[in-house]
Amino acid sequence: MISLICNELMKIFQKKSSWIYMIIIVLAVAASAIIYQKVTPDDKNWKENLTAENAGLKQDLENQNGKTKELTETQIKQNEMYIKDDINPNAVTNWTYMNTVLTGVLALVTLLSVIVSSASVSAEFSDGTIKQLLIRPHPRWAVLLSKYIALLIYYVLLLAVLIAAGFIMGTLLFGYGDFGAKIFDLGLNGVKETTVGAQFFLKILYYIPGLIVITAIAFMLSTLFKSQALAVGIGIFVLFLSSTLGGLIVMLADKYAWAKYILFPHLDLTIYAVQDKILGNITLPISLGVLLVYYLIFMAITFVFFQKRDISI
Amino acid sequence: MPQTTLEVKSLTKAIHGKKIVDDVSFGVQKGEIFGLLGPNGAGKTTIIRMIVSLINRTQGEVIVNGSSLDGQYKEMMSEIGAIVENPEFYKYMSGYKNLLHYARMSVKKIPRERIDEVARLVKLEGAMNQKVKTYSLGMRQRLGVAQALLHSPSLLILDEPTNGLDPQGIRELRDYLRQLADGGVSVLVSSHLLSEMQLMCDRFAIIEKGKLIHISSMKESLAEEDLMNVAFEVSDAKAAAEVIESSRPGTEMEILDDTHFTIRIEREGINLVNRLLIQNDMDVYGIGRVAATLEDRFLEITSRSEEGKKIDLINL
Repeated sequence: MISLICNELMKIFQKKSSWIYMIIIVLAVAASAIIYQKVTPDDKNWKENLTAENAGLKQDLENQNGKTKELTETQIKQNEMYIKDDINPNAVTNWTYMNTVLTGVLALVTLLSVIVSSASVSAEFSDGTIKQLLIRPHPRWAVLLSKYIALLIYYVLLLAVLIAAGFIMGTLLFGYGDFGAKIFDLGLNGVKETTVGAQFFLKILYYIPGLIVITAIAFMLSTLFKSQALAVGIGIFVLFLSSTLGGLIVMLADKYAWAKYILFPHLDLTIYAVQDKILGNITLPISLGVLLVYYLIFMAITFVFFQKRDISI
Repeated sequence: MPQTTLEVKSLTKAIHGKKIVDDVSFGVQKGEIFGLLGPNGAGKTTIIRMIVSLINRTQGEVIVNGSSLDGQYKEMMSEIGAIVENPEFYKYMSGYKNLLHYARMSVKKIPRERIDEVARLVKLEGAMNQKVKTYSLGMRQRLGVAQALLHSPSLLILDEPTNGLDPQGIRELRDYLRQLADGGVSVLVSSHLLSEMQLMCDRFAIIEKGKLIHISSMKESLAEEDLMNVAFEVSDAKAAAEVIESSRPGTEMEILDDTHFTIRIEREGINLVNRLLIQNDMDVYGIGRVAATLEDRFLEITSRSEEGKKIDLINL
């Protein structure tokens, strides 16, 4: 098994594209840091500004109702907490950069992981190498599993590149800040008080289950289609669909309870870093359970189909 | 008794109820080059892919050196080296990395020296560090042979090995195979080109519409070539045919038109038939041998089976 995984890793890293993807991540991180530096105001009068902002928001309140009103109220509450605890929300350190901006670049890691996963098996079909690969003294499931494990290693590497590049860029541009600095992160159900470094790693941790399930879909597509282009195309399509459908399903879930168990709203668990519940009454363990069920289904389809299919290209 | 390396027993593949390979059985002896011959779409590739487990069998058994595909998958697959159609490689990797990739998949450990040795055998030692995308088709074919031989298999399977090869490449491949067979490796090749099979194989099976309709050795089939088709031009083909039939009953004849017929006889027979016709007051205007090749035998066998006539399986 180890030698099979070595083979798959060799195939990943002998491809130029695998290295280009890492460079893309580094470039995107650098761009995000530079843009963030340009747009953050360097204000010393932040207390006055926040007070002024709150005054404006309070005026707005009179014309608002429902959800919008709630949002404005939490915003005001957050600002008041900053003033009360004497924390400058615009004070930028490498950690605040990573917590607020770098977590947005995570979507790029997902995209690139999806591309690599959906090409994993389908490329062997398009190139015809699958024939030479499967006439070896290893059962098909072992070959497939080795591919999957190699992919997991590659995802971890992409994620590590992102965090390392973010840390380096953040430190260079904003300076090393306090890992334990107190912040208030804004969620739908109110304001969460936490420390900046812990919040960043919590978001990364909550990001991983979604990544695993989305790439599992891409990996499944990769075994279902013989064309690499088709598999990658559909993989990316599903990825975009998931972010588009997320909002629709929130509305659907208001009406029908079963809609809460549709996959898409659960794909982004980082929301649990700022709030305890989504879709009304769904908590983190429930979301994890839903993801696990879908994951097992996708994996079962992938392995059963691959084990049985006739290789006739 | 010769040792059987590959045994295929009543191999069948049905897709949607249609049998594309129907009850095919044959055996390949140690050190023998065995050919699967048939027109495109006859089921040769499907048979080969069932043997190497790329395609599921509907029915039947495949045994290599006593290990069956059912139950002893690992043991069996370690005995096989194969090139299925054109050898495809990871083009973005070097020839050496490609071989290393397959070497790592072997059950017995393959040292670096063995990779170098195989590279030398196929005369690629100078190109091992180049990426495969820079290789010519002939070089890829040779790399294909190299990856199939890496783990010293006792059975080598080649599906349409000469597709896309130039005559020089075909000749080289033929020499390799003969060399290997002399060293005790059994070889199974498929092709739709008879002339190629004629030069390459010790024995061959003819596959037609998924069925195995004939197995014979090259020697036997060429021996039958002693009988040849001879065309006669006479004044009245029908009358001539009757005269010959009464004198040599059972002779194979075909009347082409009023004045032409062909007859299947041995060399001495040409003279005898000619004399017979003249003695019976027939005018003979021309006698010519119709060139008989394996191709004719092949077409003869396949078309005869189409008419549903029974074919004797020689040597089965």
